[in-house]
Amino acid sequence: MLLSPAERSYIYDSLCQKDPIRPDGRTPLQFRPLEATTDFLPGSNGSARIRIADGSECIVSVKSKVVLSEKEANLIEWDVDVSGYRDDSNFVSNLKFSLTDLYMKNFPCEKLKLTAKYSYKLFLDCIIVSHSSYPLTLATMASYLALKSTRLPLLVSEVDDSQVEEQPTFSDDWEKAQYLAEFFKTESFSPPLYITVGIVGENVFVDPSETEEQVLENGLLIGYSEKKCIAPITNLNLATNSNNSNFKGFTPALLISTVDLLKGHLSSIVDALDTLDKQDKEDRTQSIF
Amino acid sequence: MSRLELYSPEGLRVDGRRWNELRRFDCKINTHPAFDGSSYVEQGNSKVICMVRGPMEPPMRSQVNQTQAVIEMNLNIASFSTLQRRKRSKNDKRMIEMKTTLERTFEQSVMSHLYPRTLIEVNVQVLAQDGAVLATMTNAITLALIDAGVAMYDYVSAVSVGIHDQTPLLDLNVLEENDMSCLTIGVVGKSEKLAMLLLEDKMPLDKLENALAVAIAGGHRIRDLMDDEVRSHGNQRVSKLTS
Repeated sequence: MLLSPAERSYIYDSLCQKDPIRPDGRTPLQFRPLEATTDFLPGSNGSARIRIADGSECIVSVKSKVVLSEKEANLIEWDVDVSGYRDDSNFVSNLKFSLTDLYMKNFPCEKLKLTAKYSYKLFLDCIIVSHSSYPLTLATMASYLALKSTRLPLLVSEVDDSQVEEQPTFSDDWEKAQYLAEFFKTESFSPPLYITVGIVGENVFVDPSETEEQVLENGLLIGYSEKKCIAPITNLNLATNSNNSNFKGFTPALLISTVDLLKGHLSSIVDALDTLDKQDKEDRTQSIF
Repeated sequence: MSRLELYSPEGLRVDGRRWNELRRFDCKINTHPAFDGSSYVEQGNSKVICMVRGPMEPPMRSQVNQTQAVIEMNLNIASFSTLQRRKRSKNDKRMIEMKTTLERTFEQSVMSHLYPRTLIEVNVQVLAQDGAVLATMTNAITLALIDAGVAMYDYVSAVSVGIHDQTPLLDLNVLEENDMSCLTIGVVGKSEKLAMLLLEDKMPLDKLENALAVAIAGGHRIRDLMDDEVRSHGNQRVSKLTS
């Protein structure tokens, strides 16, 4: 969707003023309502589907494989598929890089170790069925839920196999499978998220919609995990299919104030996702709709 | 020979069905309101989502046909859909064959002469494969096209059938499909006309008639199940309009 110059200027002015008005009536730090289901793919260790009201939809599956630790450089592998884009297009490779970067820096890969020689490797496959705004927030939220619903089979063989030549064996009982949090032996397992933030003048807006993206002066991609804003933090043009004529730089002070502002507000989104995950675990329907 | 007993002397298959029984068939239409038409079909553990846009003006001049609608199929098989994760490219030979088979089937089944100079874009997303993927995709596309309000001559309902020794087995799952020759047919409505037939390996000619008869009966059953869903969805919408 392309905006006319008049529309563009109207939306820009309403976002730029002291008390900004967003086209869909949200407050600056409000996300769009979303709907999600988890654990609907019997062939994957974990899965989630998430969609928002404008029709954007994302499906993430987590599959695991036992590998020899010394032969694998990364224990987590991302694959992104966006409908309507070629796999080797710039857009898709950028998404894939951003996700890999976030997870390389913020996912406890060392805890995937199974025995002295073997570890799990996780394959995260993300399908963006349709999208109108920049899809990374959606993709990381879906992978958050998918990883929360991921179960790994229980190891029954010895943990220390450095001296013996033996392959790990697992319990046949799927009821004994462990959720990732249990496997990692942590109370709070919280995969990282990306938050997209738009900048217009002195104002910042989280989760900008497609119309807002086209008038933004700049866009930020901020990592978030466990009540902290984390690296990587990058800036980019969020509007992918138009040349954004308003695009310009921003002051470093704005970045610092944005990070401060987000810190207090974003725990509610993680709480919402956790509640959803808990509800889905209580009544497991195994159905996507 | 397979390690599994695919068809026991008592007449039971690996998953406990008899020779002429279908797997669990579950379908929903209008699952993605952002598209013109959409559907979700589960046949056993195979899961397929289909989304349709159109009839609409083609974005490229090269796609314009002056006399009828152009149907574009985009198939996407997720790399996690099989038990062993495997990345499948769009130029895979089998994918291209399925794509052309589906395009030809639906060019004949849609009243495309009613929509000249338009494009109907069909996106198919396979989430899980458990045998008879082509059949599941065909059923999903039929439902999505109906949801989009595209005029069709009748339902195209697809089902696979295999030959085990002497007996034809209806609607194979992945274990059976790997071990016997099978064909997929698309039946037009309640008739005995076929809109699609795909046989990727060999089948003895004298068994073919028998197999086709079983498959056509299965296709009619699937047509009824899809029709039930379409009608109940239609009634639901009408009740919302009147109240």
